[in-house]
Amino acid sequence: MSLVNFTTREITCKIVYYGPGRSGKTTNLQYIYGQVPEDRKGRMVSLATQTDRTLFFDFLPIDLGSISGFTTKIQLYTVPGQVYYNATRKLVLQGSDGVVFVADSQVRQLDENIESLQNLQANVLEHGIDVRTLPMVLQYNKQDLPPELILSVAELDEALNFRELRSFPADALHGAGVFETLKAVSADVLRKLSEGSQGGRRG
Amino acid sequence: MTTTVVETWTEVPLVKFIAQSSARLVVVMTPAGQVLAQHGFTKAVDLMSAAALGAAIMASSGALAQQVGEPGFAALYHAGQRHGIHLAGCETPRGRLIVLTVFGRETSIGLVQVFFDEFVSALKQAAPADQPRQPILAADFEHELNSSLASLFRR
Amino acid sequence: MSDVFQHSLDRISRVRGVQGSMFVAAEDGLAVAQLLMAGVSGKVLAAFAASLARKASGAAAATGAGKVRFVQMQAAGGVLLVALGGELLVAVVADAGVNVGLARLEMIRAVDAAAAL
Repeated sequence: MSLVNFTTREITCKIVYYGPGRSGKTTNLQYIYGQVPEDRKGRMVSLATQTDRTLFFDFLPIDLGSISGFTTKIQLYTVPGQVYYNATRKLVLQGSDGVVFVADSQVRQLDENIESLQNLQANVLEHGIDVRTLPMVLQYNKQDLPPELILSVAELDEALNFRELRSFPADALHGAGVFETLKAVSADVLRKLSEGSQGGRRG
Repeated sequence: MTTTVVETWTEVPLVKFIAQSSARLVVVMTPAGQVLAQHGFTKAVDLMSAAALGAAIMASSGALAQQVGEPGFAALYHAGQRHGIHLAGCETPRGRLIVLTVFGRETSIGLVQVFFDEFVSALKQAAPADQPRQPILAADFEHELNSSLASLFRR
Repeated sequence: MSDVFQHSLDRISRVRGVQGSMFVAAEDGLAVAQLLMAGVSGKVLAAFAASLARKASGAAAATGAGKVRFVQMQAAGGVLLVALGGELLVAVVADAGVNVGLARLEMIRAVDAAAAL
Protein backbone atom coordinates (compact mmCIF):
# COMPACT_ATOMS: atom_id res chain seq x y z
CA MET A 1 0.00 0.00 0.00
CA SER A 2 1.11 3.58 -0.61
CA LEU A 3 3.19 5.25 2.04
CA VAL A 4 2.34 8.94 2.53
CA ASN A 5 4.18 11.19 4.94
CA PHE A 6 2.69 14.62 5.50
CA THR A 7 5.58 15.81 7.62
CA THR A 8 8.28 15.15 5.08
CA ARG A 9 5.81 15.31 2.18
CA GLU A 10 6.83 12.05 0.61
CA ILE A 11 4.85 9.42 -1.24
CA THR A 12 6.05 5.95 -2.09
CA CYS A 13 4.03 3.60 -4.28
CA LYS A 14 4.56 0.04 -5.46
CA ILE A 15 3.77 -1.03 -9.01
CA VAL A 16 4.06 -4.64 -10.12
CA TYR A 17 4.58 -5.86 -13.68
CA TYR A 18 2.71 -9.13 -14.01
CA GLY A 19 2.22 -11.60 -16.84
CA PRO A 20 3.17 -14.99 -18.25
CA GLY A 21 6.75 -16.15 -18.64
CA ARG A 22 8.86 -14.29 -21.20
CA SER A 23 6.16 -11.72 -21.96
CA GLY A 24 8.56 -8.83 -21.44
CA LYS A 25 8.12 -7.77 -17.82
CA THR A 26 11.84 -7.64 -17.07
CA THR A 27 12.47 -6.04 -20.44
CA ASN A 28 10.15 -3.18 -19.47
CA LEU A 29 12.17 -2.49 -16.34
CA GLN A 30 15.47 -2.83 -18.15
CA TYR A 31 14.34 -0.27 -20.72
CA ILE A 32 13.16 2.12 -18.00
CA TYR A 33 16.43 1.64 -16.14
CA GLY A 34 18.36 2.44 -19.29
CA GLN A 35 16.43 5.64 -19.90
CA VAL A 36 16.21 7.20 -16.45
CA PRO A 37 19.10 9.47 -15.35
CA GLU A 38 21.40 8.22 -12.60
CA ASP A 39 20.16 10.65 -9.99
CA ARG A 40 16.54 9.62 -10.43
CA LYS A 41 16.85 5.87 -10.04
CA GLY A 42 18.21 3.37 -7.59
CA ARG A 43 20.12 0.24 -8.35
CA MET A 44 18.13 -2.33 -10.31
CA VAL A 45 17.96 -5.61 -8.45
CA SER A 46 17.34 -8.75 -10.48
CA LEU A 47 16.99 -12.06 -8.73
CA ALA A 48 17.23 -14.41 -11.66
CA THR A 49 18.24 -17.91 -12.62
CA GLN A 50 21.39 -18.71 -14.54
CA THR A 51 19.38 -18.55 -17.75
CA ASP A 52 18.11 -15.06 -16.89
CA ARG A 53 14.60 -16.14 -16.05
CA THR A 54 13.22 -14.14 -13.13
CA LEU A 55 13.47 -16.28 -10.03
CA PHE A 56 11.99 -14.04 -7.40
CA PHE A 57 11.64 -10.48 -8.68
CA ASP A 58 13.26 -7.54 -10.39
CA PHE A 59 13.17 -4.30 -8.51
CA LEU A 60 13.77 -0.73 -9.63
CA PRO A 61 13.10 2.41 -7.56
CA ILE A 62 12.38 5.61 -9.49
CA ASP A 63 12.25 9.16 -8.20
CA LEU A 64 9.45 11.04 -9.93
CA GLY A 65 10.40 14.27 -8.26
CA SER A 66 7.87 16.68 -6.82
CA ILE A 67 4.20 16.15 -7.61
CA SER A 68 1.76 18.49 -5.90
CA GLY A 69 4.49 19.30 -3.43
CA PHE A 70 5.10 15.67 -2.54
CA THR A 71 8.38 13.94 -3.32
CA THR A 72 7.07 10.93 -5.17
CA LYS A 73 8.91 7.66 -5.53
CA ILE A 74 7.67 4.58 -7.29
CA GLN A 75 9.01 1.10 -6.74
CA LEU A 76 8.72 -1.05 -9.82
CA TYR A 77 8.68 -4.82 -9.40
CA THR A 78 8.31 -7.72 -11.78
CA VAL A 79 7.18 -11.20 -10.83
CA PRO A 80 8.46 -14.53 -12.20
CA GLY A 81 6.14 -15.56 -14.98
CA GLN A 82 6.65 -19.29 -14.96
CA VAL A 83 3.71 -21.18 -13.49
CA TYR A 84 6.01 -22.97 -11.05
CA TYR A 85 6.74 -19.79 -9.09
CA ASN A 86 3.24 -18.91 -7.94
CA ALA A 87 4.19 -18.80 -4.26
CA THR A 88 6.79 -16.12 -4.88
CA ARG A 89 4.45 -14.23 -7.22
CA LYS A 90 1.99 -13.94 -4.37
CA LEU A 91 4.67 -12.52 -2.09
CA VAL A 92 5.78 -9.87 -4.57
CA LEU A 93 2.18 -8.82 -5.16
CA GLN A 94 1.71 -8.03 -1.50
CA GLY A 95 1.25 -4.33 -0.84
CA SER A 96 1.12 -3.35 -4.49
CA ASP A 97 -0.70 -0.15 -5.44
CA GLY A 98 -0.97 -0.81 -9.16
CA VAL A 99 -0.39 -3.53 -11.72
CA VAL A 100 0.82 -3.56 -15.31
CA PHE A 101 -0.28 -6.76 -16.98
CA VAL A 102 2.25 -7.49 -19.72
CA ALA A 103 0.66 -9.79 -22.25
CA ASP A 104 2.60 -11.59 -24.94
CA SER A 105 0.93 -10.69 -28.25
CA GLN A 106 1.95 -13.94 -29.94
CA VAL A 107 -0.98 -16.10 -31.00
CA ARG A 108 0.53 -19.19 -29.43
CA GLN A 109 0.75 -17.45 -26.04
CA LEU A 110 -2.95 -16.57 -25.72
CA ASP A 111 -3.71 -19.40 -23.31
CA GLU A 112 -0.74 -18.41 -21.16
CA ASN A 113 -1.96 -14.82 -21.08
CA ILE A 114 -5.43 -15.88 -19.95
CA GLU A 115 -4.06 -18.25 -17.35
CA SER A 116 -1.75 -15.56 -15.99
CA LEU A 117 -4.58 -13.04 -15.78
CA GLN A 118 -6.69 -15.51 -13.84
CA ASN A 119 -3.72 -16.22 -11.62
CA LEU A 120 -3.35 -12.49 -10.93
CA GLN A 121 -6.98 -12.22 -9.91
CA ALA A 122 -6.72 -15.24 -7.63
CA ASN A 123 -3.56 -13.95 -5.95
CA VAL A 124 -4.99 -10.45 -5.47
CA LEU A 125 -8.08 -11.98 -3.91
CA GLU A 126 -5.91 -13.95 -1.49
CA HIS A 127 -4.49 -10.66 -0.28
CA GLY A 128 -8.03 -9.53 0.46
CA ILE A 129 -8.17 -6.97 -2.33
CA ASP A 130 -11.00 -6.51 -4.81
CA VAL A 131 -9.23 -6.67 -8.16
CA ARG A 132 -11.75 -4.21 -9.58
CA THR A 133 -10.42 -1.50 -7.26
CA LEU A 134 -6.75 -2.13 -8.06
CA PRO A 135 -5.32 0.33 -10.60
CA MET A 136 -4.30 -1.71 -13.60
CA VAL A 137 -3.34 -1.27 -17.23
CA LEU A 138 -2.66 -3.79 -19.95
CA GLN A 139 0.38 -3.82 -22.17
CA TYR A 140 0.34 -5.87 -25.34
CA ASN A 141 4.01 -6.49 -25.87
CA LYS A 142 5.82 -7.80 -28.96
CA GLN A 143 3.58 -5.90 -31.36
CA ASP A 144 6.70 -5.51 -33.49
CA LEU A 145 6.61 -9.17 -34.53
CA PRO A 146 5.30 -10.20 -37.97
CA PRO A 147 1.51 -9.76 -38.13
CA GLU A 148 0.90 -13.42 -38.90
CA LEU A 149 2.43 -14.39 -35.56
CA ILE A 150 0.56 -12.00 -33.30
CA LEU A 151 -2.95 -10.97 -32.34
CA SER A 152 -3.95 -7.39 -33.00
CA VAL A 153 -4.68 -4.94 -30.23
CA ALA A 154 -8.40 -5.30 -30.90
CA GLU A 155 -8.18 -9.08 -30.72
CA LEU A 156 -6.22 -8.95 -27.50
CA ASP A 157 -8.67 -6.46 -26.01
CA GLU A 158 -11.46 -8.85 -26.79
CA ALA A 159 -9.69 -11.83 -25.31
CA LEU A 160 -8.22 -10.21 -22.19
CA ASN A 161 -9.68 -6.79 -21.50
CA PHE A 162 -13.11 -7.57 -20.12
CA ARG A 163 -12.69 -4.83 -17.52
CA GLU A 164 -12.14 -2.27 -20.31
CA LEU A 165 -8.92 -1.04 -18.83
CA ARG A 166 -6.53 1.17 -20.72
CA SER A 167 -4.33 -0.92 -22.98
CA PHE A 168 -1.12 -0.08 -24.77
CA PRO A 169 0.63 -1.77 -27.67
CA ALA A 170 4.34 -2.12 -27.03
CA ASP A 171 7.71 -3.29 -28.18
CA ALA A 172 9.48 -3.28 -24.81
CA LEU A 173 12.83 -4.31 -26.24
CA HIS A 174 13.03 -1.08 -28.18
CA GLY A 175 10.98 0.95 -25.73
CA ALA A 176 7.81 1.53 -27.70
CA GLY A 177 4.85 1.78 -25.35
CA VAL A 178 6.92 1.46 -22.18
CA PHE A 179 6.73 5.11 -21.24
CA GLU A 180 3.02 5.33 -22.04
CA THR A 181 2.26 2.28 -19.93
CA LEU A 182 4.18 3.58 -16.95
CA LYS A 183 2.57 6.99 -17.24
CA ALA A 184 -0.91 5.50 -17.28
CA VAL A 185 -0.47 3.19 -14.33
CA SER A 186 1.32 5.87 -12.26
CA ALA A 187 -1.51 8.30 -12.89
CA ASP A 188 -4.10 5.70 -11.90
CA VAL A 189 -2.22 4.88 -8.71
CA LEU A 190 -1.80 8.50 -7.70
CA ARG A 191 -5.39 9.30 -8.60
CA LYS A 192 -6.63 6.53 -6.38
CA LEU A 193 -4.38 7.74 -3.59
CA SER A 194 -5.68 11.25 -4.01
CA GLU A 195 -9.26 10.05 -3.83
CA GLY A 196 -8.49 8.53 -0.45
CA SER A 197 -9.41 4.99 -1.27
CA GLN A 198 -8.55 2.13 1.08
CA GLY A 199 -4.92 1.23 1.48
CA GLY A 200 -3.19 4.55 2.01
CA ARG A 201 -1.24 4.94 5.22
CA ARG A 202 -0.79 8.35 6.69
CA GLY A 203 2.19 9.72 8.59
CA MET B 1 26.98 8.22 9.43
CA THR B 2 23.52 9.65 8.80
CA THR B 3 20.22 8.80 10.38
CA THR B 4 17.11 9.90 8.50
CA VAL B 5 13.49 9.21 9.25
CA VAL B 6 10.36 9.39 7.14
CA GLU B 7 8.14 8.99 10.21
CA THR B 8 9.47 11.13 13.05
CA TRP B 9 8.27 8.93 15.89
CA THR B 10 10.86 6.33 14.93
CA GLU B 11 13.81 8.67 15.42
CA VAL B 12 14.43 8.57 19.16
CA PRO B 13 14.14 4.76 19.48
CA LEU B 14 16.31 4.31 16.39
CA VAL B 15 19.09 6.62 17.55
CA LYS B 16 19.22 4.79 20.88
CA PHE B 17 19.26 1.37 19.22
CA ILE B 18 22.16 2.39 16.98
CA ALA B 19 24.17 3.73 19.91
CA GLN B 20 23.60 0.65 22.03
CA SER B 21 24.03 -2.04 19.41
CA SER B 22 26.82 -0.37 17.39
CA ALA B 23 24.92 -1.32 14.26
CA ARG B 24 26.44 -0.04 11.01
CA LEU B 25 23.25 -0.02 8.92
CA VAL B 26 19.64 -0.08 10.01
CA VAL B 27 16.44 0.08 7.95
CA VAL B 28 12.96 0.26 9.44
CA MET B 29 10.39 -0.62 6.80
CA THR B 30 6.92 -1.88 6.08
CA PRO B 31 6.45 -5.52 5.05
CA ALA B 32 6.21 -4.25 1.46
CA GLY B 33 9.71 -2.81 1.69
CA GLN B 34 8.86 0.87 2.02
CA VAL B 35 11.34 2.70 4.21
CA LEU B 36 10.25 4.51 7.38
CA ALA B 37 13.70 5.24 8.79
CA GLN B 38 17.31 4.42 8.09
CA HIS B 39 20.82 4.78 9.44
CA GLY B 40 24.15 4.53 7.75
CA PHE B 41 23.23 4.31 4.08
CA THR B 42 25.26 6.42 1.70
CA LYS B 43 25.31 6.57 -2.08
CA ALA B 44 27.45 3.48 -2.19
CA VAL B 45 24.71 1.29 -0.79
CA ASP B 46 21.26 1.36 -2.29
CA LEU B 47 18.77 1.88 0.51
CA MET B 48 15.65 0.95 -1.36
CA SER B 49 17.20 -2.18 -2.80
CA ALA B 50 18.27 -3.32 0.65
CA ALA B 51 14.75 -2.67 1.92
CA ALA B 52 13.17 -4.57 -0.96
CA LEU B 53 15.49 -7.51 -0.47
CA GLY B 54 14.99 -7.54 3.30
CA ALA B 55 11.22 -7.45 2.88
CA ALA B 56 11.41 -10.24 0.31
CA ILE B 57 13.50 -12.43 2.62
CA MET B 58 11.01 -11.92 5.46
CA ALA B 59 8.06 -12.63 3.18
CA SER B 60 9.55 -15.80 1.76
CA SER B 61 10.66 -17.02 5.21
CA GLY B 62 7.16 -16.38 6.49
CA ALA B 63 5.68 -18.39 3.65
CA LEU B 64 8.13 -21.22 4.32
CA ALA B 65 7.27 -21.12 8.01
CA GLN B 66 3.59 -21.52 7.21
CA GLN B 67 4.41 -24.53 5.05
CA VAL B 68 6.00 -26.29 8.04
CA GLY B 69 3.22 -25.28 10.39
CA GLU B 70 4.97 -22.40 12.16
CA PRO B 71 3.15 -19.09 12.69
CA GLY B 72 6.32 -17.32 11.54
CA PHE B 73 9.96 -16.88 12.41
CA ALA B 74 10.72 -14.23 15.01
CA ALA B 75 14.08 -13.28 13.56
CA LEU B 76 16.61 -14.27 10.95
CA TYR B 77 20.36 -14.06 11.33
CA HIS B 78 22.82 -14.24 8.48
CA ALA B 79 26.47 -14.61 9.45
CA GLY B 80 29.01 -13.23 7.03
CA GLN B 81 32.77 -12.96 7.15
CA ARG B 82 32.90 -9.29 8.05
CA HIS B 83 29.25 -8.48 8.69
CA GLY B 84 26.19 -10.07 10.18
CA ILE B 85 22.60 -9.33 9.24
CA HIS B 86 19.70 -9.46 11.68
CA LEU B 87 16.23 -9.32 10.20
CA ALA B 88 13.14 -9.31 12.38
CA GLY B 89 9.53 -8.18 12.40
CA CYS B 90 7.60 -6.41 15.12
CA GLU B 91 4.03 -5.34 15.72
CA THR B 92 3.36 -1.69 16.53
CA PRO B 93 0.18 0.38 16.79
CA ARG B 94 1.05 1.59 13.27
CA GLY B 95 1.12 -1.95 11.93
CA ARG B 96 3.75 -4.59 11.31
CA LEU B 97 7.28 -3.33 10.70
CA ILE B 98 10.49 -5.02 9.65
CA VAL B 99 13.93 -4.02 10.89
CA LEU B 100 17.08 -4.88 8.98
CA THR B 101 20.29 -4.47 10.98
CA VAL B 102 23.77 -4.88 9.56
CA PHE B 103 26.58 -5.05 12.09
CA GLY B 104 30.30 -5.65 12.14
CA ARG B 105 32.76 -7.48 14.33
CA GLU B 106 32.79 -4.69 16.92
CA THR B 107 29.51 -6.06 18.26
CA SER B 108 27.74 -9.42 18.15
CA ILE B 109 24.40 -10.96 17.28
CA GLY B 110 23.82 -11.50 20.99
CA LEU B 111 24.07 -7.79 21.72
CA VAL B 112 22.04 -6.84 18.67
CA GLN B 113 19.26 -9.17 19.79
CA VAL B 114 19.26 -7.80 23.33
CA PHE B 115 19.01 -4.20 22.17
CA PHE B 116 16.56 -5.05 19.41
CA ASP B 117 14.09 -6.19 22.06
CA GLU B 118 14.43 -2.81 23.76
CA PHE B 119 14.11 -1.05 20.41
CA VAL B 120 10.83 -2.82 19.70
CA SER B 121 9.44 -1.82 23.10
CA ALA B 122 10.42 1.77 22.46
CA LEU B 123 8.83 1.76 19.00
CA LYS B 124 5.59 0.41 20.43
CA GLN B 125 5.51 3.19 23.00
CA ALA B 126 6.38 5.91 20.53
CA ALA B 127 4.02 4.94 17.72
CA PRO B 128 1.13 7.36 17.34
CA ALA B 129 -2.46 6.41 16.60
CA ASP B 130 -3.54 6.60 12.98
CA GLN B 131 -4.19 10.13 11.66
CA PRO B 132 -7.45 11.15 9.98
CA ARG B 133 -7.15 11.21 6.22
CA GLN B 134 -6.22 14.44 4.49
CA PRO B 135 -6.34 15.34 0.81
CA ILE B 136 -2.99 14.71 -0.76
CA LEU B 137 -2.56 15.58 -4.37
CA ALA B 138 -3.83 18.58 -6.25
CA ALA B 139 -6.52 18.02 -8.87
CA ASP B 140 -4.05 18.68 -11.68
CA PHE B 141 -1.26 16.42 -10.41
CA GLU B 142 -1.25 14.61 -13.72
CA HIS B 143 0.38 17.57 -15.40
CA GLU B 144 3.32 17.39 -13.01
CA LEU B 145 3.45 13.60 -13.28
CA ASN B 146 3.57 13.79 -17.04
CA SER B 147 6.30 16.44 -16.96
CA SER B 148 8.32 14.39 -14.54
CA LEU B 149 8.05 11.20 -16.56
CA ALA B 150 8.77 13.08 -19.75
CA SER B 151 11.96 14.47 -18.27
CA LEU B 152 12.94 11.01 -17.00
CA PHE B 153 12.47 9.55 -20.44
CA ARG B 154 14.05 12.61 -22.06
CA ARG B 155 11.04 13.46 -24.15
CA MET C 1 28.35 -33.11 24.60
CA SER C 2 25.51 -31.50 26.50
CA ASP C 3 26.25 -33.76 29.49
CA VAL C 4 29.69 -32.19 29.79
CA PHE C 5 28.19 -28.73 29.75
CA GLN C 6 25.52 -29.63 32.26
CA HIS C 7 27.99 -31.29 34.61
CA SER C 8 30.25 -28.25 34.51
CA LEU C 9 27.40 -25.84 35.15
CA ASP C 10 26.18 -27.99 38.05
CA ARG C 11 29.60 -27.80 39.71
CA ILE C 12 29.79 -24.03 39.24
CA SER C 13 26.28 -23.53 40.58
CA ARG C 14 27.20 -25.34 43.82
CA VAL C 15 29.55 -22.49 44.71
CA ARG C 16 27.61 -20.42 47.22
CA GLY C 17 26.47 -17.08 45.86
CA VAL C 18 26.34 -18.07 42.21
CA GLN C 19 23.04 -16.95 40.69
CA GLY C 20 23.60 -18.12 37.17
CA SER C 21 26.19 -19.75 34.98
CA MET C 22 26.37 -20.39 31.27
CA PHE C 23 28.46 -21.41 28.31
CA VAL C 24 28.52 -18.70 25.68
CA ALA C 25 29.62 -18.72 22.05
CA ALA C 26 32.35 -16.08 22.21
CA GLU C 27 31.92 -14.83 18.65
CA ASP C 28 28.15 -14.47 18.66
CA GLY C 29 27.35 -13.73 22.30
CA LEU C 30 24.70 -16.42 22.24
CA ALA C 31 24.01 -18.92 25.03
CA VAL C 32 25.04 -22.51 24.38
CA ALA C 33 24.02 -24.01 27.73
CA GLN C 34 22.82 -22.35 30.89
CA LEU C 35 21.77 -22.86 34.50
CA LEU C 36 20.12 -19.73 35.83
CA MET C 37 18.09 -18.70 38.83
CA ALA C 38 14.81 -16.92 38.25
CA GLY C 39 15.31 -13.29 37.36
CA VAL C 40 18.61 -13.74 35.55
CA SER C 41 18.30 -13.06 31.84
CA GLY C 42 20.39 -15.57 29.92
CA LYS C 43 20.18 -13.63 26.70
CA VAL C 44 21.52 -10.45 28.30
CA LEU C 45 24.22 -12.24 30.32
CA ALA C 46 25.47 -14.09 27.23
CA ALA C 47 25.63 -10.99 25.09
CA PHE C 48 27.41 -8.81 27.64
CA ALA C 49 29.77 -11.52 28.85
CA ALA C 50 30.99 -12.02 25.28
CA SER C 51 31.29 -8.29 24.80
CA LEU C 52 33.25 -7.92 28.02
CA ALA C 53 35.55 -10.77 27.05
CA ARG C 54 36.21 -9.21 23.67
CA LYS C 55 36.98 -5.80 25.14
CA ALA C 56 39.23 -7.32 27.79
CA SER C 57 41.09 -9.32 25.15
CA GLY C 58 41.50 -6.20 23.08
CA ALA C 59 42.87 -4.27 26.02
CA ALA C 60 45.26 -7.07 26.94
CA ALA C 61 46.50 -7.36 23.39
CA ALA C 62 47.01 -3.62 23.11
CA THR C 63 48.97 -3.46 26.34
CA GLY C 64 51.03 -6.57 25.64
CA ALA C 65 49.54 -8.43 28.56
CA GLY C 66 48.93 -11.54 26.50
CA LYS C 67 45.95 -13.84 26.35
CA VAL C 68 43.11 -13.19 28.78
CA ARG C 69 42.03 -16.16 30.89
CA PHE C 70 39.65 -14.64 33.38
CA VAL C 71 37.72 -11.40 33.86
CA GLN C 72 36.22 -10.28 37.14
CA MET C 73 33.87 -7.30 37.15
CA GLN C 74 32.96 -6.11 40.65
CA ALA C 75 29.78 -4.03 40.90
CA ALA C 76 27.82 -2.60 43.82
CA GLY C 77 25.25 -5.39 43.77
CA GLY C 78 27.26 -8.37 42.65
CA VAL C 79 29.97 -9.71 40.39
CA LEU C 80 30.20 -10.80 36.78
CA LEU C 81 32.86 -13.42 36.08
CA VAL C 82 33.99 -14.59 32.67
CA ALA C 83 36.44 -17.40 31.91
CA LEU C 84 37.77 -17.38 28.39
CA GLY C 85 38.59 -20.43 26.32
CA GLY C 86 38.60 -20.76 22.58
CA GLU C 87 35.24 -20.62 20.89
CA LEU C 88 33.36 -20.91 24.18
CA LEU C 89 33.54 -18.91 27.34
CA VAL C 90 31.90 -19.45 30.70
CA ALA C 91 30.00 -16.59 32.35
CA VAL C 92 28.81 -16.40 35.93
CA VAL C 93 26.72 -13.80 37.73
CA ALA C 94 26.94 -13.96 41.52
CA ASP C 95 26.39 -12.16 44.79
CA ALA C 96 29.01 -9.72 45.97
CA GLY C 97 30.14 -12.16 48.67
CA VAL C 98 30.82 -15.13 46.39
CA ASN C 99 34.06 -17.06 46.79
CA VAL C 100 35.66 -15.82 43.59
CA GLY C 101 38.61 -18.17 43.86
CA LEU C 102 36.43 -21.24 44.04
CA ALA C 103 34.16 -20.01 41.25
CA ARG C 104 37.20 -19.22 39.09
CA LEU C 105 38.59 -22.72 39.64
CA GLU C 106 35.38 -24.37 38.51
CA MET C 107 34.95 -21.98 35.60
CA ILE C 108 38.41 -22.59 34.20
CA ARG C 109 37.91 -26.30 34.67
CA ALA C 110 34.65 -25.99 32.69
CA VAL C 111 36.27 -24.03 29.86
CA ASP C 112 39.08 -26.58 29.60
CA ALA C 113 36.61 -29.47 29.58
CA ALA C 114 34.64 -27.84 26.77
CA ALA C 115 37.83 -27.19 24.78
CA ALA C 116 38.74 -30.85 25.03
CA LEU C 117 35.54 -31.95 23.26
